[in-house]
Amino acid sequence: MPEATAEIIESSTRAFVAEVHDGQEAPDFGSWVEVEQAETGDTLYGLVSHVEVSSYEPGRRPRAFGQSREELQRERPQVMELLRTTVRAQVLAYRPEGDDGSVRQTLPPRPPSIHDFVYCCAPEAVKTLGAPYDFLRTLVEDPDPAVPTDDLLVAVLRQVRAAHGEATGEEHLVEAGRALSRLLDDDHERLHSILRRVE
Amino acid sequence: MLDLHPLNDAFAAFGAYQAAEQERRRRRLDCACDALSDCAASWQTLREKVQQQEPTALVAGLREAPDRTYDAPERPTPVTAVASDGSQIYPDRHVEPTCYLLNVSRVAFQYGTLEAPVLDAEPHFEYEGALTEHFDAEHGRVDDEIVSARRDEKELEALRDASRRAHRDDRPLVALADGTLIRWMIRGMKDRDLEEELIGRYAALLEDFRAERLPLASYISMPGNTDVVNLLRLHLLDGDAEHAEEDPLAGLLDRWLFAETLAVGERTATFTSASRIQTRYAEADRICYFYTRVPDGRTGAGEIARVEVPRWVADDEALLDRVHALVASECEKGDGYPMILSEAHERAVIRAQEKERFYQRVERAMQERGLPPLRRSRKAQSKRRPAV
Repeated sequence: MPEATAEIIESSTRAFVAEVHDGQEAPDFGSWVEVEQAETGDTLYGLVSHVEVSSYEPGRRPRAFGQSREELQRERPQVMELLRTTVRAQVLAYRPEGDDGSVRQTLPPRPPSIHDFVYCCAPEAVKTLGAPYDFLRTLVEDPDPAVPTDDLLVAVLRQVRAAHGEATGEEHLVEAGRALSRLLDDDHERLHSILRRVE
Repeated sequence: MLDLHPLNDAFAAFGAYQAAEQERRRRRLDCACDALSDCAASWQTLREKVQQQEPTALVAGLREAPDRTYDAPERPTPVTAVASDGSQIYPDRHVEPTCYLLNVSRVAFQYGTLEAPVLDAEPHFEYEGALTEHFDAEHGRVDDEIVSARRDEKELEALRDASRRAHRDDRPLVALADGTLIRWMIRGMKDRDLEEELIGRYAALLEDFRAERLPLASYISMPGNTDVVNLLRLHLLDGDAEHAEEDPLAGLLDRWLFAETLAVGERTATFTSASRIQTRYAEADRICYFYTRVPDGRTGAGEIARVEVPRWVADDEALLDRVHALVASECEKGDGYPMILSEAHERAVIRAQEKERFYQRVERAMQERGLPPLRRSRKAQSKRRPAV
């Protein structure tokens, strides 16, 4: 198991917020993360829909020092320590423990627990989040109101292509695009705008 | 409820009084500045006069001409800066049983490197041990002054430990404490044995810094000392204070005097402290100090601060320069107050909510043992929940 990227600090059925561990890179916007639920043994899959960097202490606001990042580290080493990165992920799928290992593209029976660890999904895991792309329906019809849905869709489609690599990437992208097209009904303009940005 | 209307006249009088007072202070300051340059030429004579003094007043001891000033040298890079601070939950008079909490922070920065900083704090929950013998028998509780003394000791201990860990071979280090190193506040405790014990332990900590060559300094913001003014008074009145008609330097503070003479970044000469509590310190650990006008990254000039160092640091020009340079650079970055001490404070501070949680935990620990809940007196209760 690789080192955990983040740890859950807020949790609900639809989404969780996780704080990125020191020394770890924050997962990209629109990338898949997974959580092994300590209580149930289920694996939850979430899509990173929001990344935020802020001060640990509500009373201390970041301010501009006019110094490069390295200068800051050399002369104000506390500044970086006092910043934290949190990510919000929309829960879109889960794999029940002890089942045949197939992923269900729907919400899990229970939200993850606070302090559960969050890992970035390997391409293998992203591949399992494929056809029939039911999770796209959740993204389109019940979007996170704080996030521009189409940008998230662009990021998701790019992930699909990247996970499958050069050989079959395009093929899977077309399949996902078809699923999306059905969801968006006749809104060709919107679909094109999304696909344009995937290229 | 406060009605200020009846005080209209009083406020007007206050303004007039302050104007006159400022004027008097201005005259006295001029007098003090003259005395400072006047006594410099024959400062050795003045030093002897100080030594012959009855040690009643706190008069600054001289090591060099008192009007000397020094520019802030450039701070070495890389350099290790270490700091600690502490805060406490005093025993609550309205809460039994007696217990208190100390929260002591440790901060270490390896300036000029990309090494990770140390920023943490350690809480200490105390309710038994040596100090319980010193509970005020009448009230069955520890005095706040004992808790404060205990906190000061823990702060210095944390500073020593953090300095040991942060110290790198061939990298200069400064350990910066908050507040005075002269434990005068311990003097006059009701319990003499405890007083001796506390001073003894503090003196032992100071010795550790020296034995391990960890240069120690402390920063005092808005110092209220008058030692140097007392010295100038001695010079002016020639030891005949009793017969002088008027004290020409009445009410002056050292920091006002040096606000007249120091440019930004500069420090004064070093002086020795006459505080008698230090007779319990090893000679090499007795406290010397200087004043400095600290830079302020935002406004340019900051306050006049007092910086104390043990004598072994003051005797070593390179160490003294290092302390001076570090304090200046800290204040520059910290908007007029050492940045590292602000961080140490942030880590140590106990907020009202946290204090309440502490009492809840104490209460729960007792309930788990079937003990009666904490007794809160009516006064404490009414303060928490004012009724309508």
